[in-house]
Amino acid sequence: MSRRTGSRLPLLVSVALLGVAVAYPLGILLLQSVFPNILGGSFDGFLDAYRRIGETPEMVRLIRNSLAWAGATTVVAWIFGIPCGYLLARTDLPGKLWARLSLLVPIMTPPYIAALSYILLMQSGGFGDALTGGLPEGLRAWFFSFWGVTLVMALSSFGYVALAVEATLSEIPRRFEDAANLLGARWHETLRRILVPLLLPAILNSGLLVFLEALSNFGVPAVLGTRSNLPLLPAEIFYLVTSWPVDLALATSLSSLLCLFALVSLYGSRWLAHAFGGGAYRPGAVAVQRLGRGWVIAGWGFIGGLFVLSSGLPYAAMVLTSMARTWGVGWPGLTLIHYAALFEPGSRGLGAILTSLWLSVVAATLCVVLGSYIAYVNIRSRGWPRNVLEGLATLPRVIPKIVIAVALILAWNAPWVPLDIYNTAFMLLLAYVVIYITDALNYSNATLRGMSENLESAASVLGAGRLTVFVRIVLPRLRPALMAAWLTTFVVCMRELVASLMLLPPGMDTTATYIFNQFEQGDISLAMAMATVTIVISTVVLALFTLRRRVRATG
Amino acid sequence: MQQAEPAFLEARGLAKSFGSERVLRGVDFSLQRGERLVLLGPSGCGKTTLLNLVAGMLGADEGELHCEGEVIDDPLRRVHRPMRRRGFAMVFQDFALWPHMTVAENVAFGLEVQGIDRTARRERVREVLRMVQMESFAERRPTQLSGGQQQRVSIARALAVRPRLLLLDEPLSALDARLREELKGELAALLRETGVTAIYVTHDQSEAFTLASRIALMHEGRIEQIGTPEEVYANPATAFVATFLGVSNLIPYARQNGSLLVGGRRTPVPLVTREPDPPREGRLMVRREAVTVGLQGAPVNGAIALEGVCRRKDFLGDRHEAFVEIEEGLILRGFAGPGIEEGTRVEVRFASDAIRFLSEG
Repeated sequence: MSRRTGSRLPLLVSVALLGVAVAYPLGILLLQSVFPNILGGSFDGFLDAYRRIGETPEMVRLIRNSLAWAGATTVVAWIFGIPCGYLLARTDLPGKLWARLSLLVPIMTPPYIAALSYILLMQSGGFGDALTGGLPEGLRAWFFSFWGVTLVMALSSFGYVALAVEATLSEIPRRFEDAANLLGARWHETLRRILVPLLLPAILNSGLLVFLEALSNFGVPAVLGTRSNLPLLPAEIFYLVTSWPVDLALATSLSSLLCLFALVSLYGSRWLAHAFGGGAYRPGAVAVQRLGRGWVIAGWGFIGGLFVLSSGLPYAAMVLTSMARTWGVGWPGLTLIHYAALFEPGSRGLGAILTSLWLSVVAATLCVVLGSYIAYVNIRSRGWPRNVLEGLATLPRVIPKIVIAVALILAWNAPWVPLDIYNTAFMLLLAYVVIYITDALNYSNATLRGMSENLESAASVLGAGRLTVFVRIVLPRLRPALMAAWLTTFVVCMRELVASLMLLPPGMDTTATYIFNQFEQGDISLAMAMATVTIVISTVVLALFTLRRRVRATG
Repeated sequence: MQQAEPAFLEARGLAKSFGSERVLRGVDFSLQRGERLVLLGPSGCGKTTLLNLVAGMLGADEGELHCEGEVIDDPLRRVHRPMRRRGFAMVFQDFALWPHMTVAENVAFGLEVQGIDRTARRERVREVLRMVQMESFAERRPTQLSGGQQQRVSIARALAVRPRLLLLDEPLSALDARLREELKGELAALLRETGVTAIYVTHDQSEAFTLASRIALMHEGRIEQIGTPEEVYANPATAFVATFLGVSNLIPYARQNGSLLVGGRRTPVPLVTREPDPPREGRLMVRREAVTVGLQGAPVNGAIALEGVCRRKDFLGDRHEAFVEIEEGLILRGFAGPGIEEGTRVEVRFASDAIRFLSEG
């Protein structure tokens, strides 16, 4: 076919790379869960751990809880997100730009920071009490329960639903609705028979994203679940691995089950979307509904209310705590001493910031370089290794981070590993790359898919070699995607919590572990000062890059 | 217009603007039951807007629209009947088949919302799919069909509900040339057989000639001429109609006693016309097919002859077309006889009864 079929080396290198990074740890994890003594070289106790899970009522309840909680979060996120998406795509609501921004803020806020802030707000003697002179105990009890934890998680993820629904709704051509109306369909028939089925893939895909995020999120269960008598899988796995008595067999089998649920929900939602909705169509102009005054107020009330709950209240609690001088009744006096303490040379706080910065920069760079190379190799090759590669590359997207962290511990702490990277910061670097390389890869993939191979052939015909083609033709086209990939990876690495907690060597902190540890057993004001700093750093980096791109685009 | 039977559809003074752009500037027409009216014109002439007004997707700014004696659109009286209660159906340029339904489900949808029971529905779906020769594709999804097949299904979907009026918005323009030609004939036969009243929008004159019982030529938001295909072709009322339909030569003239002075050099030619009183000056039209270009020689009886130089000769497949410069800025097109080459001095001849006088300049 093309001159590239001759050499399969790049493809095999990519497969080997992802094999060692992803397949090997997950394979060990699965083996360990099935044969609890395999690391000791014995096949005894086959499926013991799974049997134990099935026979322990708490374990069964834990699993049921986790699934129910993730499901409830998804439903609440739908209830919040779908109306927002509709308002943005199909009405003439004024100030849409602000509405969209208000959706982005909670997406950008790490869920564990939102959860911590909500604790400060709702706990007895917290801001809620100071503000209202005493929250009703019923409300507090409700908040520190299943539904309160659900609300916090849904508030931090409904933006995905809103944006996905908006994107799809603004592409479904109005012709589809016109055709139905002309044939005599009433509005609810058009809605039920035409719009909802066409919207279903977007609803299911964003719902899947929320479900997976909730199912595998560690921060909210660890912070809020433990305070609400709501044990959830990721937090329990964490404690099984990190607290005495360590039970690797149970941890790995729960992890495997978690993966199983994730994969089942992925394929399940794909099947549902295929069976009940969808179908490809060319995007077209949409009908925009005029809103009356009352509806504008109601619409903004909804979006604004969600903004207050998802961002306004938690951010206020976070910033106020970071500047609180004293804790007592009423408003605290304000001070900046916690920030000063954070940046004091040689302090743990400054160390954590620096560690996070270099880890994130290096991890983002590695992810982008390796990810774009693998994506390029993948898209320009054919045959079975390509399918293997594609499968391997999508795995970290679905597998919960906590599971990858556990798998990496097993894989690199195993007796046969000659490299001594466990218990060093490089372990965490490896984890970041494994966890986030898929996202970087997907950014490149999207651009490469839309890029005709003829662009490269045109250069080859003129005598350019493979390296020249990649550097002169492919890379420049990829640059915007690579930039976006680098940024996203940097931002998510800066806030990564669970892998950092599990893999960092003792005595070392990242910003996230610092926040978590200080909040749980240290100075809450320091924790919140660090949270504020992390968010400011992420926002500034994002804003700078966006600004630069806009300047370049207009100038 | 005086008619024995009241018109099925009647438009009076329809006007529509988008912002400051006046897209329709007062459109009148009427349509009898069973007629197939083609709105023909270049893009931007307002034909699609007019169709959307009739469909009810848009409301008129001025004017009235009546259907079977009832007002369905009249901004003065604040009447705008919603499109779902007009009983019309539409075939869209981009087919607009719902991608999540099968072919049969697409076709059945209109019957379903009308509350027709399952057996009757299935029967009707099969019937219309047979009419468009898509019966064997009933369980396919639209995305699995070719463009031509999709448009057949779209036509079936519209016909299934037995609409009072069928609206077709450039239904063939998304298809490639060969398919368009094939489907054009089929569609014309289908519309004739079903006897459905239809309004058909297109910019393609061959579609208009094949499909129309009457053609309305639209230009800059107005209907310039309305009539049977033969009428509008043979007797174009305006320069726009003359040039938009077929290939025509427009020649400025002035009338003097019994003869015409044509062109800038006012070459005299004898005036022989059926028209009682052509305007004193203006432009006359001669169709390309009425013009022959030959080597200079004795004038043929009853024909007007003008001298010129052949500037270009194109091969059309069955004959050659010559572009002849009569004078600076006036080039006439005709079919070339033998011996004509670029640069030869030639004579352009046409019968004097091939001349049509245009009412506006």
